[in-house]
Amino acid sequence: MDNALYVGLSRQMTLRRQLDIVANNIANANTTGFKTEDLMVRTEQAKPAKTLDGASPVKFVLDDRVARDFTQGAMTKTGGDFDVAIEGTGFFHVQTAAGDRYTRDGRFTTNPEGQLVTQEGAQVLDDGGGPLLIDPTLGPVSIGKDGTVSQGAVRVGRLGVVRPDDLASMAKDGDNLYRNTANTTLQAAPDARVHQGMLESSNVQPVVEITKLIEIQRAYEGVAKMMDNTAELSRSAVERLGKLN
Amino acid sequence: MQALRTAASGMSAQQLNVEVISNNIANMNTVGFKRQRAEFQDLLYQQVERAGSQSSSNGNIVPTGVQVGGGVKAGSVYRITEQGTPTLTDNPLDVAIQGKGYLQVLLPSGETAYTRAGNFSTNDQGQIVTEDGYTVQPGITVPQNTTDITISKTGLVQVKLDGQPQPQTIGQLQLATFMNEGGLEQIGDNLLLETAASGAATLAAPGEPGFGVLMQHYTEASNVDAVTEITSLITAQRAYEMNSKVITTADQMLQATSQLRS
Repeated sequence: MDNALYVGLSRQMTLRRQLDIVANNIANANTTGFKTEDLMVRTEQAKPAKTLDGASPVKFVLDDRVARDFTQGAMTKTGGDFDVAIEGTGFFHVQTAAGDRYTRDGRFTTNPEGQLVTQEGAQVLDDGGGPLLIDPTLGPVSIGKDGTVSQGAVRVGRLGVVRPDDLASMAKDGDNLYRNTANTTLQAAPDARVHQGMLESSNVQPVVEITKLIEIQRAYEGVAKMMDNTAELSRSAVERLGKLN
Repeated sequence: MQALRTAASGMSAQQLNVEVISNNIANMNTVGFKRQRAEFQDLLYQQVERAGSQSSSNGNIVPTGVQVGGGVKAGSVYRITEQGTPTLTDNPLDVAIQGKGYLQVLLPSGETAYTRAGNFSTNDQGQIVTEDGYTVQPGITVPQNTTDITISKTGLVQVKLDGQPQPQTIGQLQLATFMNEGGLEQIGDNLLLETAASGAATLAAPGEPGFGVLMQHYTEASNVDAVTEITSLITAQRAYEMNSKVITTADQMLQATSQLRS
């Protein structure tokens, strides 16, 4: 009989985790380059519960994976010289203190040494893995569709835009950065196009997220009701069976 | 419940967003003002390991290990140094910078500040000063019997004196550029200060390679675009409301649990 309570509890736990993920999506509705996530659950076959008439199957629900939606986010014009957005699959390659990281957040700037860096100061790497040096005396910077950075007639280098063989190997690391968890190195992404003066908006769809919120809440309340009914059933059973005629 | 904290982080981020947008709108008509943008970053992710789970690719939606994000934080508020429109004022001491560079201003503390606001005038001694009375560097004094002032594109300041047909050169304005303009610190009054992040100033006459040119009789308008700002304001407000909706939902779910009969 308690199985119903435990199965209900397993569903409530996944619903709470899903709420955490939806909350994170909504909190990041305005975060540059953010990719929406959702929780995938699976059924977990448990050991058959012993009842009076023999074994009957019990299936729990378990949070299994996070589905990350890499759909292109909308392009927002900012007009910043060092603001770049990627159209297509690919990541900018940056060097942080913790090692190689990848990002779709192209809000770059220069440091006092003239190197192209992220807003946190992590070096943005070119296609060869080296830094990009901007000389302020050479005039305005233009970044071509293929990522080529130039100042007037001088070619500075080319932004490294890379992609993994399997997007599933990219783990989020916070600060809009991704970490590569696979052993393979990332390959150049020649078909990804770079747009200067633009940023990629978050691909969170507010309507979808709010709908999910309602669904989660109703499902949670439904399970709570079911658990309530089950508890009520045992209580009344004990009362009736214990009654002396 | 983590969702409560996550949504709270979202609300404070959107509040900052509204503050930045309102500052932009308030400075829509400020000479030489550069609009700012608040940018956000996701917080650390909590890895919830699940052994033996399978991976399969299906279009754009990619399954990964269970990672639960902790919300959002303000990444940076940065200036967009896009050129503002030159506005004709007909004041002979107004200069707009077309291109890169900042004019230098001497603060009472002895420090040098940098500005794009070239709406200058003269003080009682004839020195060229900003609206707040700070002298423009290098110091230029306009003689009393001046009939006409010309500031060339390259920053040469010449005056025509009463009774003299030949113009006299009284000074040369300079522009300062920085490795990282974004690193300059804003101190109000349209002034910026050099910091370690910006790098040292490089001085040169306007029109040199990498430096802008001056336009006399013009001031540089603020580069705030009202339509964009109002749109961002609406987006920020809706995002704030959605985060508060998450809090309501989390609260009602907790209530459903606490109301379970034991």
